Amino acid sequence: MTDRASFMAAVASTPRGHDPGLPDRAAAPDAPTELRAGESPLDRFQTEAEAVSTIVERVDAAGAASAVAAALEAAGAGAVAIAADLGDLLEPVREACRSAGLQVDDYADVAPERARAAALDATVTGCLAAVAATGSIVTTGATGRAAALIAPTHVCVVRADQVVDGLHALVDGDVLAAAGSMFALQSGPSRSADIEKTLILGVHGPGRVHVLLVV
Amino acid sequence: MSATTPREDAEVGGRPLPPGWAAPAHQPGADSLADTTFEERARENLARPFQRTAIANATDHTVFALQRRFAGTAHDALRDEARRIRAHAITNLPTYLEQWVDRAEARGTQVHFAADEAEARRIVAGLCAERGVGRVVKSKSMASEEVSLNSALEGAGIDVVETDLGEFVVQAMGDRPSHVIAPILHRTQGEVHELFSAMAGEDLPDDPEALTGFAREGLRHAFLTADAGISGGNFLIAETGEVAMVTNEGNGRLTTSLPRIHIALVGIEKMLPRRTDLAVLLPLLTGHGTGQQITTYVSVLGGPRGAGEPDGPEEMHVVLLDGGRSALLGGEFEEALHCIRCGACQNVCPVYRQVGGHAYGWVYGGPIGAVLTPLFRGQADGGELSHATTLCGACDDICPVRIPLHDLLLGLRRRRVAEDVAPLSERLAFRAWGLAWRHPATYRASTAVARAGLAVLARDGVVSRRVPGLARWTATRDLVLGRRR
Repeated sequence: MTDRASFMAAVASTPRGHDPGLPDRAAAPDAPTELRAGESPLDRFQTEAEAVSTIVERVDAAGAASAVAAALEAAGAGAVAIAADLGDLLEPVREACRSAGLQVDDYADVAPERARAAALDATVTGCLAAVAATGSIVTTGATGRAAALIAPTHVCVVRADQVVDGLHALVDGDVLAAAGSMFALQSGPSRSADIEKTLILGVHGPGRVHVLLVV
Repeated sequence: MSATTPREDAEVGGRPLPPGWAAPAHQPGADSLADTTFEERARENLARPFQRTAIANATDHTVFALQRRFAGTAHDALRDEARRIRAHAITNLPTYLEQWVDRAEARGTQVHFAADEAEARRIVAGLCAERGVGRVVKSKSMASEEVSLNSALEGAGIDVVETDLGEFVVQAMGDRPSHVIAPILHRTQGEVHELFSAMAGEDLPDDPEALTGFAREGLRHAFLTADAGISGGNFLIAETGEVAMVTNEGNGRLTTSLPRIHIALVGIEKMLPRRTDLAVLLPLLTGHGTGQQITTYVSVLGGPRGAGEPDGPEEMHVVLLDGGRSALLGGEFEEALHCIRCGACQNVCPVYRQVGGHAYGWVYGGPIGAVLTPLFRGQADGGELSHATTLCGACDDICPVRIPLHDLLLGLRRRRVAEDVAPLSERLAFRAWGLAWRHPATYRASTAVARAGLAVLARDGVVSRRVPGLARWTATRDLVLGRRR
């Protein structure tokens, strides 16, 4: 077995090539994944998210919980799990779903039981952040790694103040300090074009992603 | 489909598969290139007209999408920056690797060191054996293709299920992926329909949605019953000890979320110094790979399930693969390590577009395949690939990190000559030519002889017959003679 020292020795034994130096963060030029000057982050988020087949709906704080229930009903969901990262909305969402006659469980309770998790119709999560320029939502290990993927429908609640401009703002900012064991960007429903380049949604993850943007 | 021979048993690793769903039989391809030549493989693939049409359709679409994606942005400046980041990371790889290992271990990731392909197989198989792993789900990993991981695990009695739709088809057919991003570009919907129908034991509807649905159901079952998930990695982030991974189907996310063990096999050259570098490299990887703004899923994994988290693996292992990489550091071919595996050079290569990925014989196709194969496998096993190119430079133009592929290919040709791999007759002919053209008199004499000889062979000013001694060259090319003054 190669141990760390001998493995590293092989890597370090060769002569060094030319080092051009590391560009600093500020020097990064614009990319398609950054906000353009004068753009509204919320509008760009909606445009990009819709371009990859995400359903985006703007709601106000008071109407958020009932909008979640309505989104689940529109997807024809029966069995639903909700993630703890909904924060203040956790209890109102639970209540709204119950009033709508849905079977509601906490994702943390469902996750250890594979059969139950596999039978879910939908999951509801919050997010750590959202990225305007890519139309992405960012979830973490605290949300649940599979929480956004395990069911055919994913409903995600995004607060307007969670929307960052672009990839740079996400990876350079403090927001990821709360990421835990992992973070992930997801942009629209799961997709594949492996069979003769025909686009299919909902391959392994959800086929329906509904974002409620709380403004 | 004769290649399809589903296993008889409907139970693998002690767990039943869904009713009527047979596990695919893996038929490993040839691990050595020595059995066939590029010319033989190219000839075989040229006889498959669907492949050429499919490659043209798919790659044109991707290249147009890429151009649209970066229109109006500072694309060139972004590529310059990416090149600098990659060059800096590779030049300082010893430092960044040490840093990455320290940070990863501090986050609870267990790191393993594979000097070569055989050691990578031993480590992964050993981890599985020690932990009683009966079934493994895999998300797409080119590194695992490099080390032929599947056959090693299956040899150890482990049930391995590829979960990327294309890789799943490849595995079930006993085939190999033909493109880094689109593994079954060379397969028709009809072939997939036939395969899945055979696996289902019934005639499935011949439409992509239904076929994908069939695969999803069986693969979901595999996800829920697997003990370990094996993935690759697109980037290692030195600053944080994380592994970043991009997928579109979501299989990468499930592979690293549901099983109790996650094992990532990653080449050491995937290093980025900082998280901030993702903001430069991610848009280039996804934009040049598929034309997407960003792939549907980007996971950045920094250890096993954390305290208070509702799911995730109990153990995260990363197997760092050298496999011929460290030998390139500081040398003429170091820039080959800058590659981020987007496949763009493949898409624009006039040779790849005709012969397809399999003609390259090993794991990687197109210009980067023609470079990496002899570097990782040795001249004898892939040196001829440096001639499987027109040197048109389209690959240089499109590379998101500006690897001078054209120069690397020329360098490999020079090395091949220096190592005397070319046939004796070829070397003697070039030496004689060189001597003859050194002096004006012998130069003029040689052209006179050539003109007279070719005039005998020509019909209406065109030589299209096999010329003695040059038959291999003229068999596929016409030589048009200039009009005599």
